[in-house]
Amino acid sequence: MSAVHVAGVSKIFNQGTPKQVDALVDVNLTVEAGDFVSLIGPSGCGKSTLLRLIANLLEPTTGSVTVNGKSSAQARLDQDYGMAFQQAGLFDWRTVAKNIELPLELKGWDKEKRRARALEMLELVKLPEFAELYPWQLSGGMQQRIAIARALAAHPQLLLMDEPFGALDEMTREYMQGELLRICRETKTTVVFVTHSIPEAVYLSNRVVVMSPRPGRITKLIDVDLGRDRSEDTRNADAFFHGITAVREALRGTHADHANEVRGVEDR
Amino acid sequence: MTVALSPRRLRSVVPPLVFGLAFLALWESAVRGFDLKPYFLAAPTKIVGEFADNVGLIWDSSMVSGGNAFVGLVVGTVLGVAMSFVLSRYRFLGELVTPLAIALNAIPIFVLVAVLNNMYSITSEIPRRFMVTLVVYFIVLVNVAKGLTQVKGTHVELMRSYAASDFEILRKVRVPNAKPYLFTALKIAAPASVITAFVSEYFGGSQNGLGSRITSNIANSRNATAWAYVLGACLLGLGFYIISVALENVTRKEGAPIATKQGKIKK
Ligand SMILES: Nc1ncnc2c1ncn2[C@@H]1O[C@H](COP(=O)(O)OP(=O)(O)O)[C@@H](O)[C@H]1O
Ligand SMILES: [Mg+2]
Repeated sequence: MSAVHVAGVSKIFNQGTPKQVDALVDVNLTVEAGDFVSLIGPSGCGKSTLLRLIANLLEPTTGSVTVNGKSSAQARLDQDYGMAFQQAGLFDWRTVAKNIELPLELKGWDKEKRRARALEMLELVKLPEFAELYPWQLSGGMQQRIAIARALAAHPQLLLMDEPFGALDEMTREYMQGELLRICRETKTTVVFVTHSIPEAVYLSNRVVVMSPRPGRITKLIDVDLGRDRSEDTRNADAFFHGITAVREALRGTHADHANEVRGVEDR
Repeated sequence: MTVALSPRRLRSVVPPLVFGLAFLALWESAVRGFDLKPYFLAAPTKIVGEFADNVGLIWDSSMVSGGNAFVGLVVGTVLGVAMSFVLSRYRFLGELVTPLAIALNAIPIFVLVAVLNNMYSITSEIPRRFMVTLVVYFIVLVNVAKGLTQVKGTHVELMRSYAASDFEILRKVRVPNAKPYLFTALKIAAPASVITAFVSEYFGGSQNGLGSRITSNIANSRNATAWAYVLGACLLGLGFYIISVALENVTRKEGAPIATKQGKIKK
């Protein structure tokens, strides 16, 4: 059973009006359990839309989305996935621990069980001493780690992330990438990760999905051959540079059609 | 609430205090120096003297005006909060009512009290309380409705990803988000309720409140006494403001940030 199965999906916003946008056209994608899949492409190519379709925050215009063998709607009701965005989206009026407890509250867990799990998650993201602080007392990177802890609190098998490190500085970002890989290894979580950074996509993923805009579609799937145990040394490996070159070339394909739009992709 | 006199707090308290005292001293010396007659301008010392002599009467009329303001503040807040929930539930209603509420807020609707006085017995406090209620109602309605609807998109998407119902989103996102907006509204509404209560007294009805006493003392050329009532009015307004700020401090969790109107967070 695949973690995610997207079959013949298209998404058209404002259909039949002058503002019609063909955000996605005929998208097919399968993500296997244990995969780390990145979606990369210039802005406006439908990465976020595809992620929201998987999350059932949007309904496809045509086609079907299956998560853990169920309809994406059922998977959402069962909280089969956790989600994280570019903005950490923590609630300022809740302590760090209470933020992590929120999805569990909505699942109807009792207080002690929630608290125990929140502390366990704080250990996982290496911020155990921050339970009683408020989010605004934390740095951007710490907030994002709390957001990841919250997304994983209910132990979902699938994690959906939309440019979660996009607002962080480069050093914090690389640290967070390493941490995310460690966390996913420890929790055996499948990840679908939206980014517009080529090195980030290659470093994290075993598969990179290259997309192009107007209409949004998948143009290439690139397997990254870096093995499972990646470290900072991975960033100097030949296979890492090969991966980067492969993704860059695939994106250049989108460049030929759409001269301006590839600027949305960072080459760092 | 601790009022520690840290150097920073001192720096923010001392200059206005010094300025205020200097102003009073200038006033006092102007009255004495130019030998201004009391019916023209009374000296601060004289006003304070009158205040002390009439403190019982001033207290009684403060209770009347303050009572009206308080009743209107409470009723207006309750109704405003209730209506803001209705508006946030039915957006189209919000689009109809909010511009109207803002427009009504901009005009001095308390002149309506003149009309209301004709509808009730001349000694009734109801028209005044109604006016205060109306003013407070719109202030609370506009602000709290904003707090209930202007929530972060990410927060709503997260809640939906947890399969949260609309009611759970209301309880766990919209209501907490609206709390600072309610306090902002109260900080505006508390002084406004006192002002409305005073001004309503100028449009007839029984002559027992601070506003009426100020007019009647001026009419009788008892200028210093009128000023003493003005002082009472200032103290009453200040009292209401302090209550609204204290309320915010009590309900705010220890260490939690205050969301300012711009949505920025300050500590
Ligand atoms: N709710 C919406 N209504 C209308 N158009 C939308 C909506 N969401 C996204 N779009 C459009 O769909 C296209 C893809 O958007 P998005 O998935 O956000 O791209 P990406 O995340 O790759 O930058 C864009 O042209 C965007 O303007
Ligand atoms: Mg996006």
